[in-house]
Amino acid sequence: MKRSTDRILTTHAGSLPRPEDLMELYRDDAPDSKLLPRLQSAIADVVRRQADIGIAIVNDGEYGKAMRRAVDFGAWWSYVYDRLAGFEVRKETAEKGRAAWTFGSKERKEFAEFYAEDGGMGGARTGSSSSRMYGLTCTGPVKYVGQQAIRRDIDLLTSAIRSVRGEEGFITAVSPATLQILPNEHYKSQQDYTWALAEAIREEYNAIVDAGFILQIDDPALVDIWDWWFSIKSDIAGYRKWAEFQVEAVNHALQGIPEDRVRFHICWGSWHGPHSGDVPLKDVVDLLLKVNAQAYSVEMGNVRHEHEWKVWKEKRLPDGKLLIPGVVSHATNLIEHPDLVADRIIRLAKVVGREKVIAGTDCGLGGRIHPQIAWAKLTALSEGAKLASNELWH
Amino acid sequence: MRMSTNRILTSHSGSLPRPDALIEANRAREVGETTEEQAFRAMLQKAVVDVVRHQREIGIDIPGDGEFGKSMGHRINYRAWWSYCFNRLNGLDLGGPGLYDAPPKRAREGEIVLTSPADRRDRAKFPEVYSDSEGGVYTGPRAAHWPICVGPISYKGHEAIQADIACFRTALKACGLEEGFMTSVAPGSAARLANFYYKTDEEFLFAHADALREEYKAIVDAGMILQLDDPAMADNWDMINPEPRVEDYKKFSMVRVEALNHALKGLPQDRIRFHLCWGSWHGPHVTDIPLRDIVDVMLAVNAQAYSFEAGNVRHEHEWTVWEDVTLPDGKFILPGVVSHATNVVEHPELVAQRILRFTDIVGRERVVASTDCGLGGRVHSMIAWAKLESLSQGAALASRKLWGK
Repeated sequence: MKRSTDRILTTHAGSLPRPEDLMELYRDDAPDSKLLPRLQSAIADVVRRQADIGIAIVNDGEYGKAMRRAVDFGAWWSYVYDRLAGFEVRKETAEKGRAAWTFGSKERKEFAEFYAEDGGMGGARTGSSSSRMYGLTCTGPVKYVGQQAIRRDIDLLTSAIRSVRGEEGFITAVSPATLQILPNEHYKSQQDYTWALAEAIREEYNAIVDAGFILQIDDPALVDIWDWWFSIKSDIAGYRKWAEFQVEAVNHALQGIPEDRVRFHICWGSWHGPHSGDVPLKDVVDLLLKVNAQAYSVEMGNVRHEHEWKVWKEKRLPDGKLLIPGVVSHATNLIEHPDLVADRIIRLAKVVGREKVIAGTDCGLGGRIHPQIAWAKLTALSEGAKLASNELWH
Repeated sequence: MRMSTNRILTSHSGSLPRPDALIEANRAREVGETTEEQAFRAMLQKAVVDVVRHQREIGIDIPGDGEFGKSMGHRINYRAWWSYCFNRLNGLDLGGPGLYDAPPKRAREGEIVLTSPADRRDRAKFPEVYSDSEGGVYTGPRAAHWPICVGPISYKGHEAIQADIACFRTALKACGLEEGFMTSVAPGSAARLANFYYKTDEEFLFAHADALREEYKAIVDAGMILQLDDPAMADNWDMINPEPRVEDYKKFSMVRVEALNHALKGLPQDRIRFHLCWGSWHGPHVTDIPLRDIVDVMLAVNAQAYSFEAGNVRHEHEWTVWEDVTLPDGKFILPGVVSHATNVVEHPELVAQRILRFTDIVGRERVVASTDCGLGGRVHSMIAWAKLESLSQGAALASRKLWGK
C-alpha cells in the first residue's frame, strides 16, 4: 500500500457521482450489451477525472455498484443483492421495510418529527437503493455467485488506471457485519450466519486482492449498529460484545490476505441526520485496531466526529498502520476551505506522524450530495493536502 | 453588555424556529387573508415567552426574541431578517419585480456595482447545484415581488418595534430574566433595493441610516442589546461580477460602515453588537471573501462585540485571523461555534475545541459562544434546538478547562 512518504497522499471513501445516463441504464435493467460499453467509458472518465484533480489512490467510483437515481445512500451494499445466493425476499418482512433491520434507535425516537418529515427542510433529502433489500432473507446456504460481476469491475478499473498511468487503485466490498443485518432463517445462530457470510464474501475480497488492487472493506455497521440495535437500551456492553465478534468474522474473511493490501472503512451512516446518538470513536477504537487491515478510514470531517482527532493522542496507532481521516465531508453543501483541510491533516499528522496519514473523505460522496459539489470537495481535498505537505515537509 | 468574566457565556445570531401555528398566521397575514389582530398578538406573545423560556432552560445566557416579530410565512425562509423592514419604511413600492428577476449588472475596474442575486458568482460556478431541486440549496418559496424605492425613505415602524419590545420584555420578565438582544438590519444590507428616487446610491444608503436609526434607538432606549445584522458587508463580494479588487471592495464597504456609524451616533457602544455572515443558504460558498480581507472593516463599526461565522467548513479555519488582528480593548467576539450549514449536530467537545482556539488568542473573557447565523428557517426546528444545547454544553466544557472548575 502506498504511504505518504514525501507528501500527504489523497484518496476517498469510494462512491462518486454517476453520470445520469449510466443511472438510467441501471434503472431500466439494461442488458449487458448496452450497459457494459457505457460502464467502461464512464469508469475511464471517472478515473481520469480523479487523476486530473490529483487524487493519488483512485477507484471506479463504485460505478459497478448500481445506483439508480441521483440521491442514493445505499448502493455500497445493495450491489451484493445480485452477488449472493441463499437469499429470498420474504413478503411480510419486506413490508416492514427498514424496521425489520433495527430494534429501534434512540436518536430516531428523540428526533421523531425530523425523521418523519424526511429532514423536512432543504438540504436533507434521502433516498436509497437499500429498499431493494427489504425483505431479503437468508433461507439457504450462503454462496458467493458474483464472480463475473467482480471480474468485470476489476477489468474495467485495470484498463482505466492503465490509460492514466495511475499507480494504485482500490475496490470496495461490503463487510460481514453489514451483511448479517439481513434476517436469517437458515442458520442455527447469528454467529453461524455471520461466519458463513464471511466465508462467502471472502471470494470477492480475494478476487480484488489477487488482481493487485487495494481492498477496501466498507463496514459502517461496525459503528452504526450501535444506533440500529443497541442505543435504544444504551447497551454498550452488548454492543462491544457484538462488535468484537464482528471483528473476528471480518478477520476470518481476511485470512490469508496480506494486511498491507487491505484498508478498512467505518462510518456512522451517511444520512443527513443529527447523528447525536453516534457511538464515540473512543469506545470502539481498540476493536477497530484489531481488524487485520493496514489502514483505517474514519470520519473526521463532520461536526460530530471532527473533535475525535484527539482520540489518537490517547490511543497509539500501532507501527506500520495508517489512518485515512475524512477531511472533507458529504455532511454539508459548503465546500471545505483548503486551509481547513490542511489544518485537519496537520492536526492529526502531528499526533500520529505525517507518513501515517492519507487524506480522505468522510464517506462516499456519490448519491449524498450534488455531483458538482462532490467534485469541488475532491478538488479542495487535493489542494488542502498540498498545503499540508508544504508545511509538513517544508 | 455581559462578558465571559467567570465562564464562557452563550448567545446566538437571532432567528429561531417559529411554531407552525405562528408560521401559518404569518402566511395568512402576509397574503391579506386576515387582518385579525388581537388573537395574533396573544399567539405571538405566548410563542415569544416559550422561546425565551426554552433558551433559558438549555442555558443560553443572552437570549433573543427569536425574531418572532419578523414575519416568516414558511418553514423554510432565509429572508425575514431583512424583509421585515419593508413594512416599517416609507418610500418603498412593495410591488417591484421579484428579487431573482432583476437583470444582471456588470462591475468595472474601480467601479463597484452589485449584480442581481440570481447572478451571484457562486451561482455561476455551480449552476447545476443551484438549479437542482434536490441539490439542497432550496431557500423556500420566492416572493413574487420585491420593493423598489420611489420616494423619500423614512421610518414608520414605531408601533411595530414597540410591540416587539413589549412582547420581548414581557417574555423576559416571565422567565425572570433582565437582559436580551434584538436584531435590526444595517443600512448597507437594507439598501440593496432598486432605487428610483435618490440621485446617488450614497444618498439612498444614508437615508436608510437616518430611518433605521429610529429602530436602533428604540431598542437601546428600551434597555435591550441591539444586534445589527449586516451580511452585506461580506456577501456583497459574491454579488460583484467580475470579482473586484479587494481594496476597491473595502472602500465600497467602508462607505456602508460610515452610514452605519452615522446611524449609531450617540448610542452607547456597550449596548451594541454587530453580526456578519456570508449568507446562510446551503450553497458551496467558494466565492466567500476571506475574513482576513474585511476584518478591519468590521472592526470599524462602532459596536462593542462582533458576531461572525466560524463554525462551518468555509470559515472554520479563520480563527487564525485573530492572531494577526488586535481586538481593541474592551471589545469582544461572538464566533459561530455551531452552524446552520449541516444537519449533523455539533459534538460538545468540538464546540469546546472551537471556543478554546479563540480564547487562547483573545482571552477567555472576550469570547461569547454563538451560532454562525440564525437557525430559524434554515434547519429543522429539532436540529436547531439540539444545536443550541450542544452550544451550551460545549461552552460549559470550555469553561471548566478555562477556569478549572
